[in-house]
Amino acid sequence: MENAINPRLTVSDFVALTNQTLEYAYPSVEVEGEVASFKVNQGKYVFFDLKDNGASVGCFMTVWQLRQPIEDGMKIIVTATPKLTQWGKFSLTVRALRPSGEGSLKKSFELLKAKLDKEGLFAPERKRLLPVLPRHIAVISSTQAAGYADFIKILSDRWGGLKVDVAHVQVQGTDAPDQMIRALKYFNTQEILPEVIVIIRGGGSADDLSAFNDELLVREIATSRVPTLVGVGHEVDESLADLAADVRAATPSNAAQIIVPDRQEIIRSVRYKVQSVLPRTLQAIDVVREQLRITLQDAFTTIERRHQQSEERLMQLRQVLVQLDPTVVLRRGYALLRGEQKVGSRIEIETYHAIMEAKVERYDKK
Amino acid sequence: MTKNKTLTIQEKIAMLDELVAWFDSDEFTLEIALEKFKAAEALAREIETDLASLKNEIKVVQQSFDQA
Repeated sequence: MENAINPRLTVSDFVALTNQTLEYAYPSVEVEGEVASFKVNQGKYVFFDLKDNGASVGCFMTVWQLRQPIEDGMKIIVTATPKLTQWGKFSLTVRALRPSGEGSLKKSFELLKAKLDKEGLFAPERKRLLPVLPRHIAVISSTQAAGYADFIKILSDRWGGLKVDVAHVQVQGTDAPDQMIRALKYFNTQEILPEVIVIIRGGGSADDLSAFNDELLVREIATSRVPTLVGVGHEVDESLADLAADVRAATPSNAAQIIVPDRQEIIRSVRYKVQSVLPRTLQAIDVVREQLRITLQDAFTTIERRHQQSEERLMQLRQVLVQLDPTVVLRRGYALLRGEQKVGSRIEIETYHAIMEAKVERYDKK
Repeated sequence: MTKNKTLTIQEKIAMLDELVAWFDSDEFTLEIALEKFKAAEALAREIETDLASLKNEIKVVQQSFDQA
């Protein structure tokens, strides 16, 4: 009877039974506390204590599960399973953790930023240009989010004829990074690749946006075959996903503005182009008109000059004629003689004032 | 001007740019400027109509990304 009430177990069985009971009672717990005694063993195993003012509990996880850097003094929330180890030590086996509170989020962000920056993930030379006018894009977002609705509205207002494939994922919370990573992998392995992958999410608290600072997600964005555009939160928000993307948009609306041109602007530009040829044509007409005016002016000047020259010539001839006029000679006192010039013949003599007849009395040759 | 139905908007804009560039080129003559202007105007109207009528095709991928 005594054995039925107090079963006698081996140590191994006791540990196994305790773990079974714990697993049944607490399959998964979230515990918030401050990190202490953080260390990584053999580059694989992570150990730290999670404590508050009243208690402390040991935590264990693998380094691959540590997707946001932590250090002593940071406040974090762990998602874990309680476990009794074979050495009788109680600990939390951590599956995921995230910084808690503004200070820890900022600290974790800075630590990871420095690490990834050192690896060159944010280097400007890694950035690729987005296609000028894509015809096929992929969007990773929550289709229920306001940021997604803004993006689609502005995209459709600005441009048309696009094929838009949307992956509906969580954009905040513990599962968000993995879902976005799967969506990125999905689009990167399609037979027909999209020309751009756009990751968007509207504004939120630092904790809401912390999914975009997940190390694996940031690495997935940085290694995406397809160029990436990330527009998360508001203009002032900066995420590591932003930094790893080929192009960063300040907001989801801005992402739509970056990815496609505004059709109204193109219509205005097309109208302007057509109108712009008018002044050029008018200018060409003016040039021809001016050339014509100059040619006519030249012709007129030539005619005028010729006319003047003729007038001058005429004047000269007139003067010559005047000089040759016999009356002018008669006026100077000379006389005009008509008739046969021989002795005895009658001749007519004309002076300026009279005409007279005379007889030749003598004729001597000079 | 015949409709350029098989051309994309970008190709039509490139065509328009070519037409407009002609006015600045050495080939410009007043005799054919009017003809070119009419062609540019018609092409611009076509681009405008195309742009106004284009719609995006948005499709949510059926695959769930909840699980690996």
